[in-house]
Amino acid sequence: MNKSSPAYILTFTLIICAVFGTAVSLVHHGTRGMLEKNKKLHRNRVIARAFELDVPGESAAAYARALENAIQRDTLVHKERAFRTFTHTGQNHIGFVFSGMGFWDAITGILVLTGDLERVVNIQFLEQKETPGLGARIEEPWFTRQFKGLRIDWDALPAERIIVGPSPDPDAQNRVDAITGATQTSIALMRILNEELDTFRKARTASASERL
Amino acid sequence: MADTPRTVTAKALWAENPIFRQVLGICSTLAVTNLLANTLFMCFGVIFVTSLSNLTISLLREYIPKRVRMIVQVLIIASYVMMVDIIIKALNPDIHRFIGPYVGLIITNCIIMGRAEAFASQNKPWISLLDGFASGLGYSFILIAIALVREPLGFGTLLGYTLPAKDLWWHQWTIMVMPPGAFFMLAIVTWACRGLQVSKEKTT
Repeated sequence: MNKSSPAYILTFTLIICAVFGTAVSLVHHGTRGMLEKNKKLHRNRVIARAFELDVPGESAAAYARALENAIQRDTLVHKERAFRTFTHTGQNHIGFVFSGMGFWDAITGILVLTGDLERVVNIQFLEQKETPGLGARIEEPWFTRQFKGLRIDWDALPAERIIVGPSPDPDAQNRVDAITGATQTSIALMRILNEELDTFRKARTASASERL
Repeated sequence: MADTPRTVTAKALWAENPIFRQVLGICSTLAVTNLLANTLFMCFGVIFVTSLSNLTISLLREYIPKRVRMIVQVLIIASYVMMVDIIIKALNPDIHRFIGPYVGLIITNCIIMGRAEAFASQNKPWISLLDGFASGLGYSFILIAIALVREPLGFGTLLGYTLPAKDLWWHQWTIMVMPPGAFFMLAIVTWACRGLQVSKEKTT
């Protein structure tokens, strides 16, 4: 058979694509259960870290139990946006899942606030695909630590209630340092947090007035 | 002279080592060697992909049309890389979160494409499998050697375990776990290995 004929090339390429495509799908299908379990464990671990829960051990069951005892899960819907919320039953802290477009892809995480929404208690990230070594450093403790106790300046412009990076006021209480070499990620994170905070507060106010 | 299993292994591990001789696959060498656990998973990925892609390309070498051979090779390599990516994600999601982007980049790792094009497309399956495996090992042993220095000096740990008497000897040498540390270590390893090769040549 003539190996350089278009018919041969086309048939060969199609067969190769079908065979290898199927093989990859099979591997994916075979590990689906494990991937689901890992995803759930990762989520629980991030929530536990965000609320600084004491978890006895590292097992999935330990995390599930710790969360069940301390955290109450809810959904807060406002217009077309639904927030997954977490309330620490012992402390007056509320966390919610924020998400938005980063520099490369979506960034999602959990932002824990004091009950009066005046201060940030903690921030932890669920998913991000920023540049490794640069933007991806938003997950690192030295960066997230800066958010602990950060004041949210509700009187400022909606886009500047939390500032990531430079601010005209050097002593600003609502500012954290950006990441050197990851300006776009820092700007994106600042935008996401401010947008999500604004929507979250509106959602919370709306749900409170509905209850009255 | 035809390649024998012995010469193929010796070349891939030492005489034509992909890292310090051919300077291929440097991107992942620099990126993942700050922790030994990450390095081991990356090495597993590369050995798996070089071995199986070499075997597959060799098995199909008579049937692959010359004009599209590169595309077919990339497709085969990419499929194995995706499998490795899924397997690492299932086995150890924490490590996957760190090395995930580099696992994807195995597709463009020049060692694999290089071995597929230079060796597997012209040799029999068994010897091609061995060549791929040995190239992966040649890559791995340099990476592990670098990680064995970077992790203890940078973090005072090895495979995540704290080293004995850490308080007495360890000073946090942050540069070791940052990208410049990788450049320094790679240069030192390359210099040492090439120096050894040259002195061996002189004596023989």
